[in-house]
Amino acid sequence: MTVLASVSLATFLVAGVAATQFRSQPLPPSNRFARDEALRKSVNGLEDQNRQLKARVQGLQAQVKAREDESAQRSSAAQQVNAQLDDQKVVVGLVALHGPGITVTLHDGTDPNNPADQSLGWVIHYQDLQDIVNLLWASGAEGVAVNGQRVVPSTSFFYAGVNILLNNASRITGPYTVTALGDPPTLTRALANRDQLAELKSRSRIYGLGLSWLRGTRLALPRYDATFLLRYAQPLS
Amino acid sequence: MHSPSADRTTRAQRLIVVSLIALAFGFLIVVQLRSQAVVTRTLASQDDTSVALLINDLNRANNQLIQQSAALTQQEAALQQALVAGGTDSKSIEKELTVLREVAGEVPVHGPGIEIHIDGSIMDFELQDALNSLRNAGAEAFSLNGNRIVSSTPIQTRGQLLTIGGNTVRAPYVLLAIGDPDQLFAAAEVAVTSLQTRLQVDIGRKPDLAITEVITPHPLIYAQLGQ
Repeated sequence: MTVLASVSLATFLVAGVAATQFRSQPLPPSNRFARDEALRKSVNGLEDQNRQLKARVQGLQAQVKAREDESAQRSSAAQQVNAQLDDQKVVVGLVALHGPGITVTLHDGTDPNNPADQSLGWVIHYQDLQDIVNLLWASGAEGVAVNGQRVVPSTSFFYAGVNILLNNASRITGPYTVTALGDPPTLTRALANRDQLAELKSRSRIYGLGLSWLRGTRLALPRYDATFLLRYAQPLS
Repeated sequence: MHSPSADRTTRAQRLIVVSLIALAFGFLIVVQLRSQAVVTRTLASQDDTSVALLINDLNRANNQLIQQSAALTQQEAALQQALVAGGTDSKSIEKELTVLREVAGEVPVHGPGIEIHIDGSIMDFELQDALNSLRNAGAEAFSLNGNRIVSSTPIQTRGQLLTIGGNTVRAPYVLLAIGDPDQLFAAAEVAVTSLQTRLQVDIGRKPDLAITEVITPHPLIYAQLGQ
């Protein structure tokens, strides 16, 4: 009886110690939860502020535009330069566009849960979006937007950890939609060309990552939701 | 020979032992399941590093938007003042036009920045990554071996050849970027880390760089104005 009791007690103690050890590693302490919560609140607050600031910038742009149009009515010199400005706003993406084109849709594939595969090949990365947009520009696209964010001359495709960011830290999440205006057959041929986006297409087969496209006769691109401010580059006289 | 009371005692002892072991295993299993649930939640949500980087980028973007608001307020005031005085401020409109032409790469520009020398062939994605990092660090104009680059400039690798806007460019490469030299330098150092494992890459701050190449915009054929 003494032996059995000793064994059972020892088993219990070992199990208890093991259990404590298991719990203490993966379970974060309470202050970790508090810190995570604070960080996420900061992101929400900054994203709210980001939206408000963009709305303010757009409101001010409308006011400036009204003054410019008023000036154009009073002076022929102002009228001439204002007309050029309106054309230039189209070039840099400050005007919404519509027309025929193509919509490319992407989404993450399936995590293989294979410890030997650490490639994250099943995830859409910012480089994948960059590659598609680059191919569409090379195929004559006249305007491009990603998840409703207009691609403008200063757009960078970037990441912050697992986040894909475009234009003034606008965080975009899957499924991703790339809309391009241009000649639909030309854009389709470029995407279907097996020599193009070869790595992405390979991952699509291996991980079930979504990659499809659809022609459209009337697609819409929004205008860029901010403006441009140069601090260092000056025109060379 | 065992007595009935001794048998009962033995059964009771076995029951206690089995119960204790079951309890211990049960405890372990429950804790293990809870641990897995926590790991899944952690993976499903973002790690602290991602969130911290996002906060950093949002702060920077919001500061830029505040600066844009201030510049637009000033521009609107100048236009309004001229109108109230009975005239017009054409120079303000011209200034805005010039900025948009610079952004589109349509006019030659100069300013402080960095110059990166790369002594060997690079692939399209390596150049794209470097440009993205520099744009994110505030670069305002680029050229590579005499080719002006904006985000709509196609950059491709055909065989071993790098093409920019359809033009073939060969090593050695000289990448010019105009912007805050210190910020661009720091971003470039990180961006070229992988290139430096196989190529000679030199980065230098420059007080005044000139980018004289320009881009001619394509007329719209398919796209029309408005939503």
